[in-house]
Amino acid sequence: MTKFKDVVKTEEGEVFDVELEKNVLEANRKLAQENRALLQKHGVKAIDVMGAIGAGKTSLIEKLIEKLKNRYRIAAFKGDLTTTIDAEMLSRHKVEVVAINTGKECHLDANLVKKALQRLKLDSLDLLFIENVGNLICPAEFPLGSDKRIVVISVTEGPFMVVKHPFIFMDADVVVINKIDLASAMNVDVKSLETDVKKINPRARVVTTNCRTGEGIDAVMAALGL
Amino acid sequence: MHEGSITTQVVKNVLQEANKRNAKKVVEVQLVIGKLTFLNPEQVRFWYEILTKDTIMKGSRLIIEESEGVVKCPKCGYEGDFKYVDDPAMHVPTPTLNCPKCGGTVEMVGGKDCLIKNIKMMI
Ligand SMILES: Nc1nc2c(ncn2[C@@H]2O[C@H](COP(=O)(O)OP(=O)(O)OP(=O)(O)O)[C@@H](O)[C@H]2O)c(=O)[nH]1
Ligand SMILES: [Mg+2]
Ligand SMILES: [Zn+2]
Repeated sequence: MTKFKDVVKTEEGEVFDVELEKNVLEANRKLAQENRALLQKHGVKAIDVMGAIGAGKTSLIEKLIEKLKNRYRIAAFKGDLTTTIDAEMLSRHKVEVVAINTGKECHLDANLVKKALQRLKLDSLDLLFIENVGNLICPAEFPLGSDKRIVVISVTEGPFMVVKHPFIFMDADVVVINKIDLASAMNVDVKSLETDVKKINPRARVVTTNCRTGEGIDAVMAALGL
Repeated sequence: MHEGSITTQVVKNVLQEANKRNAKKVVEVQLVIGKLTFLNPEQVRFWYEILTKDTIMKGSRLIIEESEGVVKCPKCGYEGDFKYVDDPAMHVPTPTLNCPKCGGTVEMVGGKDCLIKNIKMMI
């Protein structure tokens, strides 16, 4: 019997190199694409609402729902760390609301949205608002599968909000500058905030609003094509 | 801000690869983090140490390389860094999606990834 002398085998304790090229952020992007495909299949338009804490995301969605609920069948997702306060606010408008608790995460991700989508009857829906966690940084990294992304800022965050956080505006289709009623009290020039946004992202539609009175809401609807 | 969850993904993936090969120990992990991500390498290191403590990755060397942000113009083909608008009032160069060559609108094509490039393990 011949015996192989030259058998190549890994030796005990040998260091082994594994080339991987695995993109950790890709998993979320894939899931976002799946969400998008699912929503499209059922003819649902999804709108991701991002923005700083307290900028007026919930107020904006409430105003939009009031104006749109006769024309569209609407549902909303509300991402929050642990509470369901906003979700309760939104459900007063007699639309279906799913609260998504992110635990300690600073943003929604496509997987959470995927799970929340399973709670909805997509065939009896036209429009889905997704309120992200209040944060101007992290949500930009995690697409959810929405058709349009709104970034809400308000004049109470000061005059440098936009230039301090340029990247979230690059991903925005519509930028809402809210609380314009407080601009003079805050000594903030709304026009220069608008110019900053346009400078960073010339494609974005910029709308100024007062989500207490409803001023500018029609323009937001137009910018969203609704 | 989400370095914790991303580093958890990294560790999970590395352990998976190591287990597939019945590795005894992971000695080195090489990451490439894009400059257009919001991942701070220092914080990734911090989480890495915590998350690997009770695993075969404990004590492994973490090499972090950063990759540049790259934008591309679909109109004129420009590929490279953002155009920055310098606002003299604020002394901060603000990146813009305006193409530095033709004034079209660029798209971000590089620097948005967090890659596990290479793992060294003891079999
Ligand atoms: N003066 C004024 N107040 C506003 C306006 N829009 C919203 N507010 C108030 O601002 C506060 C925060 O508004 P929300 O809509 O809860 O803000 P949010 O972005 O959803 O906040 P979080 O979800 O907690 O991050 C509330 O007290 C609103 O009534 C506005 O246009 N003008
Ligand atoms: Mg809210
Ligand atoms: Zn160009």
